[in-house]
Amino acid sequence: MTGKVRNVLALLAASVLVASACTSSGATTAPSTAPTGSNLKIGVALDVGRVDDKNFNQFSWEGAKQAADALGATANYVVPKDASDYDKNIQGFIDQGYNVVVGVGFNLGTAVVKAAKANPNVSFVIVDVAPCVDETGAPDSTFSCKGDASKLLPKLTGIQFQEDQVGYLAGIVAASTSKKGVIGQLGGVNSNPAVVKYLQGYILGAQSINPNIKVETAFFSTGDPVKAYGDPTWGKTFSAQFIPQKGVDVVFQVAGSTGNGALDAACDAGIWGIGVDVDQYLSYPNASKCIIFSAEKKLSKAVSDSIKAIAAGTAKGGVSLFNAANDGVGGSPLYNATAAGLPAELQGKLDTAFAAMKAGTLKTCPDKCGTWTAP
Amino acid sequence: MTQDASATQPPALEMRGITKRYPGVVANDHIDLDVRRGEIHALLGENGAGKTTLMNVLYGLARPDEGRILLDGEPVEIAGPSDAIARGISMVHQHFMLIPVLSVAENVILGSETMSNRVFVDRAEASRRIGALAKSFGFALDPDAKVATLSVGQQQRVEILKALYRDARILVLDEPTAVLTPQETEEIFTLLRRLAADGRSIIFISHKLYEVLDIADRITVIRRGKVIGERRPRETTEKELAELMVGREVELTVDRGISHPGEPMLRVEGLRVADYRRHEAVSGATFEIRAGEILGVAGVAGNGQDELIEAIIGLRRSAGGHVILDGRDVTGFSPRRMNEAGTGYVPGDRHRFGLILAFPLYDNLVLTSYYRPPFAHWIVRDDKAILDSARAQVDRFDIRTPGVNVITSTLSGGNQQKVIVAREFDRSLKLLVLDQPTRGLDVGSIEFIHRQIIAKRDAGTAVLLVSAELDEVMEMSDRIAVMYRGRMVAEMDGRTADKSEVGLYMATGGREPATTEEGATP
Amino acid sequence: MSGLAADARRLLARAVNLRLLQVVAEPVLAFVFALIVGGIGIALFSAYVPGHAAFDVGLPIAAYGSLISGFASPNGITSTLVYATPLVLAGLGVAIGFRGGLFNIGGRGQFLIGTVGAMAVVTWIGKDAGPWITIPLALLVGASLGGFAGFIPGFLKATSGAHEVVTTIMLNYVLLFVMAWAVIGPLALPGAPQPITADVSTRNGDLPIILGRDGHLGLLIALAAVPIMWFLLFRTTIGFEIRAAGANPDAARYGGMKTRRLIVLTMTLAGFMCGLAGATTLLGVVHEMTPGYDTTIGFDAITVALLGRSNPIGVALAALLLGAMRAGAQTMQIQAGVPPELVDALQAIILLFLVVNVLRRLMARRKRRPGKGEPAAAAAVPVAGVGIE
Repeated sequence: MTGKVRNVLALLAASVLVASACTSSGATTAPSTAPTGSNLKIGVALDVGRVDDKNFNQFSWEGAKQAADALGATANYVVPKDASDYDKNIQGFIDQGYNVVVGVGFNLGTAVVKAAKANPNVSFVIVDVAPCVDETGAPDSTFSCKGDASKLLPKLTGIQFQEDQVGYLAGIVAASTSKKGVIGQLGGVNSNPAVVKYLQGYILGAQSINPNIKVETAFFSTGDPVKAYGDPTWGKTFSAQFIPQKGVDVVFQVAGSTGNGALDAACDAGIWGIGVDVDQYLSYPNASKCIIFSAEKKLSKAVSDSIKAIAAGTAKGGVSLFNAANDGVGGSPLYNATAAGLPAELQGKLDTAFAAMKAGTLKTCPDKCGTWTAP
Repeated sequence: MTQDASATQPPALEMRGITKRYPGVVANDHIDLDVRRGEIHALLGENGAGKTTLMNVLYGLARPDEGRILLDGEPVEIAGPSDAIARGISMVHQHFMLIPVLSVAENVILGSETMSNRVFVDRAEASRRIGALAKSFGFALDPDAKVATLSVGQQQRVEILKALYRDARILVLDEPTAVLTPQETEEIFTLLRRLAADGRSIIFISHKLYEVLDIADRITVIRRGKVIGERRPRETTEKELAELMVGREVELTVDRGISHPGEPMLRVEGLRVADYRRHEAVSGATFEIRAGEILGVAGVAGNGQDELIEAIIGLRRSAGGHVILDGRDVTGFSPRRMNEAGTGYVPGDRHRFGLILAFPLYDNLVLTSYYRPPFAHWIVRDDKAILDSARAQVDRFDIRTPGVNVITSTLSGGNQQKVIVAREFDRSLKLLVLDQPTRGLDVGSIEFIHRQIIAKRDAGTAVLLVSAELDEVMEMSDRIAVMYRGRMVAEMDGRTADKSEVGLYMATGGREPATTEEGATP
Repeated sequence: MSGLAADARRLLARAVNLRLLQVVAEPVLAFVFALIVGGIGIALFSAYVPGHAAFDVGLPIAAYGSLISGFASPNGITSTLVYATPLVLAGLGVAIGFRGGLFNIGGRGQFLIGTVGAMAVVTWIGKDAGPWITIPLALLVGASLGGFAGFIPGFLKATSGAHEVVTTIMLNYVLLFVMAWAVIGPLALPGAPQPITADVSTRNGDLPIILGRDGHLGLLIALAAVPIMWFLLFRTTIGFEIRAAGANPDAARYGGMKTRRLIVLTMTLAGFMCGLAGATTLLGVVHEMTPGYDTTIGFDAITVALLGRSNPIGVALAALLLGAMRAGAQTMQIQAGVPPELVDALQAIILLFLVVNVLRRLMARRKRRPGKGEPAAAAAVPVAGVGIE
């Protein structure tokens, strides 16, 4: 091999490593900073992708890290390469003496429930999944959920969010912003209940401001998860057609990074966008100039609270619901208020609605909550 | 060795003690070679003798382990081909390095110094200069013609022109006549003599003895990496040169003996075959070969011989006509059925069709019979039977190899061809189809293969011999047919045929004046 | 049986002969080279790993140390074998393609459709049929669907000349969507909050564990596939035809082989092996699928086949190496804080090195050809590409 070829190779190899090395920031949290004597070792089993995905992986991990810092515990994460790593990654933490294992997302549901059954002394948290078990405590693949997970697997906490509540807030913002009385919402797929709850709340919230508002809904995909959640280019292409065709002047995206493309398209079309899951004004600066609001799941708070509950011994098995009542969901601050001409009383309306949700007096979802029926 | 008294100035090129070792073999063993200004120096040797390695050293493609190169008495280090070209050394390869879709002028200026200085090429200027250059050496070549439209001989002239354009002082020609008709060969020789007279030095690589005697001023013979001797044409004979090359006594012409033709074995009737461009390459060929007879087909390459053979052997579909073998219509038979019907075939391009070079010897020896007993039972190969048969054939056909496990690409060309001959000849045959069976081989291998062909004929096989080497056809054939533009235009007795008459048929297709119609088969 | 003994002897003889040493040297060099480049890379970016200064030479050592400790334990060894299983099977699938002169980049789609086939069998008959029928049938159907996914590009190439690199890549996407559709549609578990299939272990579809904690029966399948593939390639006429058509299709045609049919056969076999890898992984490891299910096996298998020189035994060794790296990656991530992408990077460097080397030799061969290959000189360089037994 000539020297030139060797140089090129080395460069290429190095650049591959730059990409991977950068993702490693914060892979470990030094336990030395807060020696409170906690003996928790927290392992976070992430889903396929990256730890800095500005999404589930990232905020779940950040929650675990916050809890670890507060408790003086050790925290670590693993990113799987594909589904065949799920079981092994969880088992790897247990083998290395980790006593709290957090699984992130629906795909890890079965793996976490299985591990919880096999390792009754280890505490588990599964993010965004309601553990569904049969009478023996094994994962119930019929989803009739006959077993009582909170009794059978008392050390397993399933974190769930009430998406319709924040969707409702987003609806208020959209209807208050819209000049045309036509607003849009874009979901990943219509078979995902979490997505659907957001959208259902959004409709109700918008109607609470303007009973005659027209809400246009579309989904990025009928099933392909990549198009639904992982393809910003597709999101942008799709939305660039959706926006002018439907004549919407505000759009709410519930579609992961595909939805980020929708926010880009909103910017290009000169309309306003509403982010989802996290504060996208901060997490997606590309589109921050046209994001007015985000409907947040407080993922890191939920994970952090769950871990702290385990440390305090107050954790209960079963579903741990995060909603307005425990600040597990919530609206982001309003952004670009002047440019978007947001009414001055909007924040007040949001606060009032949120307070009503906390009090449990506001219905934010239709009866068939989580099941999409075209209006 | 005589010392030329007039050579007071240093030779144009001296190679002193060049040694090049490859693992397990010394390709060049202290080779000395000097070439004077205005000299045509022939380098003669069998395949694998080290000629090409020596020329690769000269051209900067290989670095010698020992030895020096001097140009005009100055020692030089040649770093690579571009360095060699800059020092006035040019090589004309056997396989032309031309780009068919470009014009002559474009091919000539491609990659030469004058082009790298500017972004745009002044085509008109270039083609004017190249036309003038060609004229100054006395050959006509349209600088604007696309290379794809040129004949092989003309393409070779483009290659030479390329060298001249770069002002080559030392010109290496690697087997330049292998692809030419006798007439074209004569033309190229005229050109080479003119170049030499112009003060350029020419290294002429060949193993055609009579050509070397015709053109060279001096002849250096190489065998097994060593210089065996140096001769001047008027002081030596073909026989002596052959013996120097091979290292033993050889018969240059195998006595074909008397044939005893029997019943007609192969009949080809009105065969029509299209080439890969769907032009008709064989337009109604009709001939017959009897058992125990060799029919030689002469013709300039590209007159339909390849297509004719491929249609007979089943590699190519015929568009019309019949092939009848021993009374049975075998038209359209697959290669395997032809093989099973008693046909042996030695393909012209042995690297492409004849052998799988990456495979060991024993696999190539069963390339057409691997699937049947004793070499296979059901789908399981019988390695023992394959190896035993391979060892026996290596002995019987004198294949020079360290063993039957050897990868075939490591054998010399002659031994590779013997592998094919062993595979195809070593059974009872009705028909033997030979396409250029000795192309590029050394005299020793040629002699061996010719003997095998005669033996096969005497055993009652009908032999179809196609060769662009007119001499081979003349020497071997009981009957000679000339193929021209897809037709058999002449047939004559092999023992009485006149070489120039055959050459005329090859060039013009008959006594009528050469046609100039468009769309001629190249 | 004496034939088998003779084979074993010959194999042993080959293992010690110099040519094999040359053959092995290159992959080993590629691996060492990758480790060095990877190590330099880790050191260069060590500042990104908390607790490490910039240019910390200790970090690569720690990373490789924990990588090794990750697979050098009883559980680690089992993990290595489990990870190696689909790599062996799919690696053989790519290797047989290479032998036949075909570049199967469709491993991903073939793997996924194999998973779907196995899942369908388990979903539809698993409950009633019991494991003795369900498992073999699921593996067979999965592998056959993979084979069909290989047949299509093979057929297209044989009939129209469409290049298999293009068609297999395109088919990957088609099959990815077919899989997502199947998981959302016919194979979806009713009542699940998000699309997911049944867990095969609830329907008699999980492969029994035969070794350690998670060493499933697929290990034996992979182990058996290696000698079977070796036998097929080197001891049968079919294997001879495949290799001949791959090494020189013109000569193969002249030798009476039906090269078009061989293209179809080779691609079908290649797809079959990749489909089997998918089915085995489903029944042995992942047990259930969501629409996002995906794999990098298709590409890893290319690395394995190149690293193993398309020799079944070499493929098995290469798969073990990659499997060990993957088994150790998690430990490396947890203990040394080096992201598991390093393993991908190492794999990429190995591949680059191998590919560059193959290209270099091809170029060297081209260069030599004009000189009409002074055969003695050519002998010094082992024949390029994949065709070394």
